[in-house]
Amino acid sequence: MFKRFDQARPFLTLGLVIAAWLVLPTVIKIFARASFFELTAPVSVAASYAHDLREYWSLRLHSNGELIEASRDLARLNASYDVAVQQNAETLAQLNRLEGILRLPAFPAHRSEHARVARRDFSGWWQQLVIRKGENFGIPVGAPVIFSGGVVGRVTEVRAYTSVVELISSPGVRLAAVVEGDTRTISYQGGVNPTFGSAVGIIEFVPLDIDASALHPKRLVTSSLSGIFPPGLTIGQAVKVDPSQDGLYKSGEVKLDERLGALTEVTVLIPLNPE
Amino acid sequence: MPTHDTDLADRSGNLFESHKGYDPRIRLFYFVTAALLLILAGGLSYQQLFKTDVHHERERQQNQRRILIPGPRGNIYDRHGQVLVRNRPRLAVVLYLDELRSAFLAEFRRIRTNYRETGDKDLPSSAQMSTLARISVVQSYLDQVNAILGRELTVDSAQLKKHFASELLLPYPLIDDLEPADYARLIERLPVRSPLQLYTSNTREYPFGSAAAHTLGYVGTTDSVETDDFPGEDLKTFKMRGTVGRTGLERRFDGTLQGEAGGKIFRVDPAGYKLVDREADVKILPKQGKNLTTSLDIDLQLAAEQAIGDQIGSAVALDVRTGEVLVLARKPDYNLNDTSPHLSTAVYQDINQRDALTNYTIWGAYPPGSTFKILTSIAALRSGKVLPDQPITNCDGVVKIGNILYKCYNGKGHHGDVLLPDAIAHSCDIFFYEAGRLLTPDVLAAEARRFHLDQPTGIELPLESHRMVIPDPAYKLREFGENWFSGDTANTSIGQGFVLVTPLEMACFIASVARDEVFTKPTLLHDANAPTQHTESIGLTSEQRAALIAGMEGTVTYGTAKSIFSLPLYKIPGIRIAGKTGTAQVRVNKNGKVGTINLAWFICFAPVEKPEIAIAVMLEGETIGEEFGGGREAGPVAAAILKKYFEKQANPAAVIQAFKPAGN
Repeated sequence: MFKRFDQARPFLTLGLVIAAWLVLPTVIKIFARASFFELTAPVSVAASYAHDLREYWSLRLHSNGELIEASRDLARLNASYDVAVQQNAETLAQLNRLEGILRLPAFPAHRSEHARVARRDFSGWWQQLVIRKGENFGIPVGAPVIFSGGVVGRVTEVRAYTSVVELISSPGVRLAAVVEGDTRTISYQGGVNPTFGSAVGIIEFVPLDIDASALHPKRLVTSSLSGIFPPGLTIGQAVKVDPSQDGLYKSGEVKLDERLGALTEVTVLIPLNPE
Repeated sequence: MPTHDTDLADRSGNLFESHKGYDPRIRLFYFVTAALLLILAGGLSYQQLFKTDVHHERERQQNQRRILIPGPRGNIYDRHGQVLVRNRPRLAVVLYLDELRSAFLAEFRRIRTNYRETGDKDLPSSAQMSTLARISVVQSYLDQVNAILGRELTVDSAQLKKHFASELLLPYPLIDDLEPADYARLIERLPVRSPLQLYTSNTREYPFGSAAAHTLGYVGTTDSVETDDFPGEDLKTFKMRGTVGRTGLERRFDGTLQGEAGGKIFRVDPAGYKLVDREADVKILPKQGKNLTTSLDIDLQLAAEQAIGDQIGSAVALDVRTGEVLVLARKPDYNLNDTSPHLSTAVYQDINQRDALTNYTIWGAYPPGSTFKILTSIAALRSGKVLPDQPITNCDGVVKIGNILYKCYNGKGHHGDVLLPDAIAHSCDIFFYEAGRLLTPDVLAAEARRFHLDQPTGIELPLESHRMVIPDPAYKLREFGENWFSGDTANTSIGQGFVLVTPLEMACFIASVARDEVFTKPTLLHDANAPTQHTESIGLTSEQRAALIAGMEGTVTYGTAKSIFSLPLYKIPGIRIAGKTGTAQVRVNKNGKVGTINLAWFICFAPVEKPEIAIAVMLEGETIGEEFGGGREAGPVAAAILKKYFEKQANPAAVIQAFKPAGN
């Protein structure tokens, strides 16, 4: 009898733990969950730092000749970026002047916070990144995240030193978008993406006169009307649009940037005047 | 001597009931029990084996609900593929109440607890608290939207109550017809998985506003959604509101334009809420209705309407060959976009006050005035009473018919020994009084009936008039109980008196004359391969026809319409036009003042040598006693249509091929 009880003890314990968890107050559960993530965060961050260190040492192995060549390329790039920065500054000034003349409302200003990617989760369940900055850098929930290729996603969870960014490939992200050169708002939403497949999104409420195909894709950018993302940031390329049965709109598919799966650094746009 | 057993039985008889191994009376009980069990088993078997379908059906009806969503209407195009009527998406933020059962319940408990804690004896009833809970929950969702859009909207409790009671499974609209900026903000800020969603319906949109308003017509809303192939007809059904054509082509072709309804069939719990996390059992997407390609040419239509401007009147242009209607204009009109998504009382009253709702082009019956002289000419030529090269009277400006002096109202009134072509060109009344007298009223009426001027044309529009009148002595006797006088013949011969026709009929008449036939059936449907219409020939000799056409061409080159068509603005180089002016008088009561206003008519076709387009224009004078004449007032409208038509003919590349309508 006692022997049989001993054998069942692990199951009994598990049952008791589950029962205790079920009856625990919500506050304690939230606290336990947050604590778990905060305690495991250093592991992710440490792994990320280890990865950076590995990169560093691999770079140290390059010869002086290679480094000189890389420096020269970098100097050229810097020079071209300097020119681009000046041009951008001039364009921005002109834009401000025109906005002033037309009395257009100013777009919401943002502060940029660059952050390294600590972990990437790509699966049928999760499409998210963990970045190495959190509350310590004033990152708020909902902040837009971008990279050199356009939109990355939005911050969905902020912890003490890390934040979780839901990628635009996730079905949980929906954006107001426009086809480049058009002003009518389209709804973009992440698709159901396989673990190793190329990421796609879906677009809905596409006006009937807009066409796109794999041969003639259209660039999909953020809308100026939404107020969360600055306008004109690339979301992806619309590669297919088909009219819906009701004839009101078209819907289609958007191919997202392949680099989303290999991001190492992103920029979080922190609103200066949050609503 | 009693045995021991007997003693025991006797003694126990007082304490225990004696038990017999078998009692025959119990058989009855067995039988009854067995019979009852048999009935029960039989009943169950019957219900299970034979009534399965019935119970299954009942269960299905009890557990399933059907939602019907009307399909968008088809588009309407002009003959060159320009969209005249289309659907505009209408965006709304809606709340799916059927997903909020647990939220309603939690709020109900919270409200009940709060009331109980107050210790108030006068507690609301359970139903009242349920209503409060629903309003509270819906308001909390509306507050989310308010926070995003910066509004301060509150829930309309009566509307919510009504929606909850009768349309629980339909989305409850929180804000309708969102602006693009609001829509963009909500896309990004509303949670993706939430009972709060963006919803798209549609409404009619008219890119050309008021153009061809009477012809195209408008739509109204209806609760009746037609479903031919959608399953579950016996289920409790929730219907989204659909549309139905109220006037014009929208009404006449409602069946064609009407979309195919789609919808869903859901499983619900006993309280009628949709089962959470369960996909619809049936889901069919609504389909757009069939498109309609009209014969209208929007460029010509706009030219006509612009030429009419603020005046009251109608213009019709027909393709002479096929009878396709190129222009069907009526002023005053109304902006069709004001009728969408629904025609408000204020807009309706405004339209009604301006008398802009009725399509008088097909409904109004007017005296055709001197344009009727073409018919009198044809009748006279056919009868042989008038020869092209012989005068029938000498016009010295006045003639006595019966005891009344009739004047020649056109020109100087002294046309002299006028021949038929000049009589038409100068519109000599006295010539046609005499022609009418020679013809007799019955012959004149018979000729008019031969041209179908006494019947509706059969155009594909609702409410075409039946009020046209082609008078003869029998008509006057029947309607007024009076005899026919020679003055009545005189009046009829110049399109006055009792004669009444619609502007559309006059367009058909002149198109028939252009083809040298007696009838043109107008159509508003475009067919690129439509054959040429063929009806009975008018029956004029080539000499007679030449005289008739010469007179009509003379109207434009040297007659009553010369002053307009010689102007550089209206001149069309290289195009010969045959026309006829007309001015008719009608008695009206305007704001309590009774008097006569003039109707200005102009009918024509062109080119003379190979007619392509036929036009009838009728404008109403607005002021009693105002000088208002056919050539001067109606001529410019016809000229504007002709000019645009031949401009397009000369430059076919300019014809817009913006969009090829799909299907029919």
